[in-house]
Order: sequence, then structure tokens, then C-alpha cells
Amino acid sequence: MRIQDTERVSRAVQTLRGTRSLDGLVDRLFDITEGSLALDRATLHRIARGQTRVARAIDTPQDCIRLYFALMIVGCEEDVPVETVVEEGHAILAGFVGDPLAALVFRDLSATLPKLRDRSALKAYLEEGLRIWLPS
Amino acid sequence: MATELSALPVRAESNTLRTFEEKLRHHLDERLQVRTRFAPLGATRALLVSPADRDRAKGLVIDDRATAAERVYVYVHVAAHIALGHNIPLVTIVESEDAEGADEMKHDLAERLARSMWWRGADAEIAASLPAVLTSRVLRSLLAWRGTRALTRWALMGIRALAYRTGIVRALERSAATAWLGEALCVAAVVSAAPQLASGGRGGGR
Repeated sequence: MRIQDTERVSRAVQTLRGTRSLDGLVDRLFDITEGSLALDRATLHRIARGQTRVARAIDTPQDCIRLYFALMIVGCEEDVPVETVVEEGHAILAGFVGDPLAALVFRDLSATLPKLRDRSALKAYLEEGLRIWLPS
Repeated sequence: MATELSALPVRAESNTLRTFEEKLRHHLDERLQVRTRFAPLGATRALLVSPADRDRAKGLVIDDRATAAERVYVYVHVAAHIALGHNIPLVTIVESEDAEGADEMKHDLAERLARSMWWRGADAEIAASLPAVLTSRVLRSLLAWRGTRALTRWALMGIRALAYRTGIVRALERSAATAWLGEALCVAAVVSAAPQLASGGRGGGR
């Protein structure tokens, strides 16, 4: 997969990781995705720093979507405001898979989010979203 | 991640009701591929998340403060949404108090079908897992209105307490009468928690 706007994706990752170190973020991402993320630590570091145009190990859109959900869950855990979590999540997804697929996934979130009035409901929604994208 | 049922706060709820709730939850899992989890959802009652691939299980998240009776209602309501084909891939159904526009119409339709399924009027997948006592017209009429509903529940609980105290329950263990009483109490508890299931029209005479 080719990252379409490395700087924007990097900024989004930096915002969503809150106070976590990059290593702490990567550990948490592997934990949340139950080790199913086909992405090595060095590549994740480069994505977070905006230093790569090609995420070498991300072969499938499914992996991108898992990473998107996981990063948004981290944002919720780090007490990032709900609106920011959504905005930055959209930027990440669009950066990874391009706007058409991002819009497809995000359409549901855009319609669903106004009905989820607090962080706990958003987090539960993201966890369930991630679960259905995890390999069976 | 969302919790399993065992992590929910323990409430003073009837064992029969909890068993019925568990049976319905397993039925939903096995027949409709709905995996249920529990999590704090704030003002939201439940979420049904549908995957892109129809072969994969759907995810139902219920607020962890919901009682067993409320959870039973959510299962029947979700089964109605699925029967109506509302579980479109990548579309989330949110159950909360303030549905608007197209959502309100969808929820109203599901509510009507859920009521019909509950009283075993619709030939739905879920009907087989509901208590046989739901075919009782007498019970249905008694639970239709708030006043008679409260009175019926109170009377059923009184009969149960009396039966336990006098030892009749032990003597009649596994008899049709005790089974009927247990099921009737479950049904009364669920309709009290979700009056929209009552047959007295919208809101069930609330």
C-alpha cells in the first residue's frame, strides 16, 4: 500500500498516541490487534514520523483498517477529544486506503458517531469494528 | 475490550430469567450469528455492528447496566432488525432513546415485528426459543396495560413466594404448573422492563 499523505498520517498518529512513547504506542497496537497486524515495529515508527511513502508490510486494506481502528482506540484511551479521534482517524484511513474505501468505512462512522454521545460508547463501537476486521 | 457476562454486576434477578436470557443469547449466536458483549455505553443502550462479509458474525454490544429482562428485550428487537434486513454490511444499528428520521422508522418497524415475534405471532427464527407461556391470551391481556401488568406481576410473585414457603414447589418440582409460573414471571419481568412489547399498542399503555 502506498501512503498518500505521509505528513498528515504522521500528524494524526502523533495526535492519537497522546502521551505514549512511540514504542509504547506500537506495543499497544500489537496488543489491541491481538498480534494480527502484519506490520513491523520499524515500519510503524517510520509511518509515525512521516518518513516512508510505502508501508512495506501492509499488504491488504484489511490491515490498514485494523490499524485505523486500533489507533482510534488508543486515542480514546488517551482521552483525546471524541471529535479529534474521529477527524484524525479519517485522515489515517484516507491516507492508507484512499478516499473511496475510506469514505465507505467512514460513512458508517459519520452516521453512527452523532448517536454515540460519549467516549465509552465510541470506544465500544471501535472495539467491535476492530473485532469484525480481525482474521477469523 | 468489552466484558463477558460473568463480569457484569451481580443483581438480585431470578435464576429462571437469567437462564432464559442466556438461552436466547446462545440462540442468537447459533442461529443468527450475533456475538454479544457487554460494555459501558453511557446513554446508548446497544450497538449492532455488521461486518462487510456476511459470513462473519455480527457484533452486539449491550450496555453493562442493562438488566436480564432488558437484555432479553434487546435480543428480540435485534432479531427483528435482522429479520427485516436492516443489518446491512458496515452499517451500525444504534439503540438509544432518541432515534430520528430514517432511524426512527427502522426502529418502529423493528418494534412492531419484535412485539409480534414476542407473542409468537410471527413465524420467526427466534420464536422457537421463547417460552411456551407466550401463547397464553390471558397472560397477554393481563400484561397489556400498566395497571394490570403491575398487579399480575405482584400476584405471580406472591404465588411463587407462597409456593416456596409451603413446600409446594418441592412437591410439584418439574410439573407443568411450576414451569408455567416460572415462565409467566419471566415474561412479566421482560414486559415490565420493555412495555413496548405489551400488546396494548405503542408504549404498551405506559
